[in-house]
Amino acid sequence: MELAYPVGLVVVAASIIIGFTALVREKDDLHRILLTDLAEVLALVLIALVATDLAEALILPGLVVGISELMAVSEVYIAKEGLRAPEGPAFRIEVMDSAPGILALILVAYGIVLSGFTGGAIAAVGAVFYFMCRGHTEQFELIETVSGYAWAFWIGAFFIFMFLPAYWFFAVMIAGGAILLKVMAKMSLVGTMRRGGPDV
Amino acid sequence: MFNLPTTNIGGPEVFVLEFGDIVAYFSPYTAALFVFALIFTALVIVSRPERQVDIAFGGDAYYTKEVDPNLLRFQRFMAIACGLATLGAVMTGDVFNFTLFASMVGITNIGIVAAYRNRHVLNAAFQYGIVAMLATVPLFGGAAIVLAGTGTLSMWELFGGAMAVPLIAKAFLVLGVMGEGMAPFYIAKAEITRAQGAPFILMVHVSSLLLFLRVTEIVISM
Repeated sequence: MELAYPVGLVVVAASIIIGFTALVREKDDLHRILLTDLAEVLALVLIALVATDLAEALILPGLVVGISELMAVSEVYIAKEGLRAPEGPAFRIEVMDSAPGILALILVAYGIVLSGFTGGAIAAVGAVFYFMCRGHTEQFELIETVSGYAWAFWIGAFFIFMFLPAYWFFAVMIAGGAILLKVMAKMSLVGTMRRGGPDV
Repeated sequence: MFNLPTTNIGGPEVFVLEFGDIVAYFSPYTAALFVFALIFTALVIVSRPERQVDIAFGGDAYYTKEVDPNLLRFQRFMAIACGLATLGAVMTGDVFNFTLFASMVGITNIGIVAAYRNRHVLNAAFQYGIVAMLATVPLFGGAAIVLAGTGTLSMWELFGGAMAVPLIAKAFLVLGVMGEGMAPFYIAKAEITRAQGAPFILMVHVSSLLLFLRVTEIVISM
């Protein structure tokens, strides 16, 4: 730590100088957005260099703020340039007809075995892929409802941790299952965005 | 009770709210800033936006421009969110939370400025957005160096004078807030102070002014 931190700081400082120089020289707006995103990663690196539990906990909010700023600036860019979603037939290849069923099944099953946040993300990748390839006719109110209940269960599990610590295993099981459902339900909606259905 | 090294933080504390070791507080100074931000947030909530009036040259005629209600609603929402972020920034007792609130002010300022369908205004909003994004580097970097140099982010421990906060961290914090609070300059460039939805634009000025005042207090006290 004693040696690694100053060395890391020097590396980050050099990277910041390189990144900002590139930004000054770059004239294309789209490329400048990408470069600012790279520069924001350096802020996270600065936090990560501290290398304590607290620093680890600070990275997530830092990342979220960075992404939301990136989205805001991208929206401004889209409005500024008057860009629209491309018209024409959707992208189709053969594997998108044959693979979704089996791949989604494997990913969702493996996600359920993992459970928790990671499991939710993996199961969601399966669901995203399925919705992207096969389209969707489902009612999203149902998914939203399941997601909402899962969130309530997750919070309830935390109340068990706080007030009935003796039942921690029960609470872990509830929280793990609920966050799996929650993350999966939320992320699977991403897969439906490409089709632009009436509910999205 | 959490054991606080400093009992006297920027003047006698008026109100203290503890979340573990994150202790939000009011001193007379920050309470004044808070009331100021609160008044302007309330004004944004109740105000009815004015219409831009154009006068036809060489006659008595004038006409008011149409305002898209959707954009106006979005702008009002962003202005209220900006007010709330400012409220958080002036009352928080944690350096990292302050930087988060400062970048939230930056994001909402982008939203307020960008709620026009005018090419010049959007260009200015885009440039400001780039600056605000880049400002997060020194902002978070400053907070990270404070954490690395002193081992804590709580203002209650940093304000005592017992901790030696590196000068570069203070400089980074000021630089970051300058970037996030730079919106008024871009607004002047885009000349949208006189444009539609004038009361919401006020929030940009108020929030950046309060951010500057607050970061001055933090840097001087550390």
